[in-house]
Amino acid sequence: MNRITSTLTGAAVLAALAMAAQAETKVAHVPGGPHPFFADWGPASVAAQQDFGLGAADYKFPQKWELNLQNDLLESLVTQGYNAFAIHPGDPVGSVPTLNELVGTGAPVIAVSACVNDPSDVAFCLASDAGVSAYHGTKHLIEAMGPGPKKIAHFTGWLVEPNTQLRIDGVARAAAEAGVEIVQVIADIDAPEPAEEKIGAYLAAHGSEIDGVITTAWVPAVVASNAMRRIGDKRIKMIAIDHDEVVMDAIRDGYVVGSMLQNPYGQAYVAAFAADKLRNGCKVSDAAPFGDHPLTSRFIDSGAPYINASNVETRAEVDKALTAELLQRVETDFLSCN
Amino acid sequence: MSLVTTQPDRSVRMPDLKGVLLSSEFGLFLLIVLFGGLFYSVSSGFLSSFNIAAMSRAAAINIMIGFSMMAVIATGGLSLAVGAIGACAAMTCGWLLQEIGLPWPLALLLAIAVGAALGAINGVIEVKTGLHSFIVTLATMSLFFGIMIFLTQAQTYRGIPADFVSFGRMKVMGISAAMGPTLIVTAALIVLYGNTRIGKEMLAAGARPEAARLSGVRVGRMIVLAHAISGGLAAIAALLLVARNGAAIPSMAGNLGQDWLLIAFLGPVLGGAVLTGGKISVIGAFLGAVLVTVLSNGLLLMQIGEFWLQACLGAVLLLAVLLDLARRNYLERRAKQ
Repeated sequence: MNRITSTLTGAAVLAALAMAAQAETKVAHVPGGPHPFFADWGPASVAAQQDFGLGAADYKFPQKWELNLQNDLLESLVTQGYNAFAIHPGDPVGSVPTLNELVGTGAPVIAVSACVNDPSDVAFCLASDAGVSAYHGTKHLIEAMGPGPKKIAHFTGWLVEPNTQLRIDGVARAAAEAGVEIVQVIADIDAPEPAEEKIGAYLAAHGSEIDGVITTAWVPAVVASNAMRRIGDKRIKMIAIDHDEVVMDAIRDGYVVGSMLQNPYGQAYVAAFAADKLRNGCKVSDAAPFGDHPLTSRFIDSGAPYINASNVETRAEVDKALTAELLQRVETDFLSCN
Repeated sequence: MSLVTTQPDRSVRMPDLKGVLLSSEFGLFLLIVLFGGLFYSVSSGFLSSFNIAAMSRAAAINIMIGFSMMAVIATGGLSLAVGAIGACAAMTCGWLLQEIGLPWPLALLLAIAVGAALGAINGVIEVKTGLHSFIVTLATMSLFFGIMIFLTQAQTYRGIPADFVSFGRMKVMGISAAMGPTLIVTAALIVLYGNTRIGKEMLAAGARPEAARLSGVRVGRMIVLAHAISGGLAAIAALLLVARNGAAIPSMAGNLGQDWLLIAFLGPVLGGAVLTGGKISVIGAFLGAVLVTVLSNGLLLMQIGEFWLQACLGAVLLLAVLLDLARRNYLERRAKQ
């Protein structure tokens, strides 16, 4: 009898351990490549693991911004036991087959900070609306430049990056509405070398002909902020993107008017939370109030707050509040856990 | 005629079993088993069905890239332009599918033809100018890639038919369907170099061009043909990559196609190809590329930092080559005793 009891007890313990192991969520945060924008994903992974009791939450990135390398990395992460993914897709269409394959293994996949084209098996896309953010940023620039005919230049990121064309379109829409002329769009410069070379050359040759600059990618924002400081006369108004300290200092010192934030920390943190929930029985709510997006019908706008001289010193609080609000919104409006 | 063979060097006579043990192919097979066992002991997921399928898909592409270099090595040349040609063929395919709306089988054939034509251009320039293929393909690598970027404006073609994309994801008995075309090409190359006059003439042109010429081999024509085959094979590799990614992406082989170069050389060289031409091994190049794939996959599974992956891959491959050399030296010494 004792032997039967201990056998049953042992079996129960093993079953419980197996169930616990099965329930353990291992989230991988994987961007399309190394980039300063994703630096906050590391601390966000650590915080998500602690706060949500995840088995693991790790930030892994391909060595170069190349779709093949991201695909290879994602496949190896499945083999390593990761069972939930928060991914910045390397390509809005090219990433879909691989992401579908990940979902096919039973792992929930959330597109973070950039979306993939429908149809896909991705649960949803959690990102700033790049087009709307660029539109509002341009509106802020137009306001800063004041009335009258104006000319602006637009410095932006990789054309292969899913958000770049949306940003170009957003800037163009705002400029067209206000009758502002975009005299130059320089793309594919989201790396220090091409950004320094092309922005420097453009401002040297044509800086006197423009009234404003809008930047919609991290590195061009940093490089253009430095250029504005070097020029020094504050005649050219500039709106940046993201929260690099160079940009924040330029806002403090008045060389840059403001910046459109994206809160990558909050995006990664909330994506880990949602991926864990989806893995443990929750579903995407049928009544989820998804927003409009050119690429997908399952878009959650993570917000794009505007930072300028009036609130640059309280940016951390802005991000924190945005993250808390996003977490609550995703849990209550977009997930169904009954 | 000079020695024209795909067989291992038989200068040391010995029973067939020892010949097999001395061959590069057997050494590679052992290394694949050795590293496979090592990676499996570190991560049981190495032999999971998901990873087997992923590895076989990557191997199918790597093998084809290795073959594209091997075809030129056979004639004593090399091609730095295999990646650029592959990218050009892939973008041609993407353009034909998305912009022209051709049925995908026809688009694939035309893309392979473009790859072969670009390869043939390399061969013609090499033969007509007498320049080494290194210089010729270094120049055409930039030329082909630059023209492709100019024509496509570096845009990605995403209008790839679902049937073609699903082929890239298909599995047959747990192995990626991409292995199908690769195995067919492998068989075709074995026949080409082992059983056909043209294949033997290409090897002869690589081994001793003057002797081959005196024997009636049209060396120049063989060089052009080898480059054309190389271009066609690079195109097939690129098309497998398009099927995998679901898009034709200009950067699929890195800037100027340079990301393919290490893989392209490793497969045939590990497989026993002589870089001065005249001796290749199709099976060896196949196994060499599989070894590279296993190592890449295993290192990723061991969570080697992504930035260190290439460095580790190079170091482990060097070790693998030295181990293989030591094994062969040991067996040769024993055979002489």
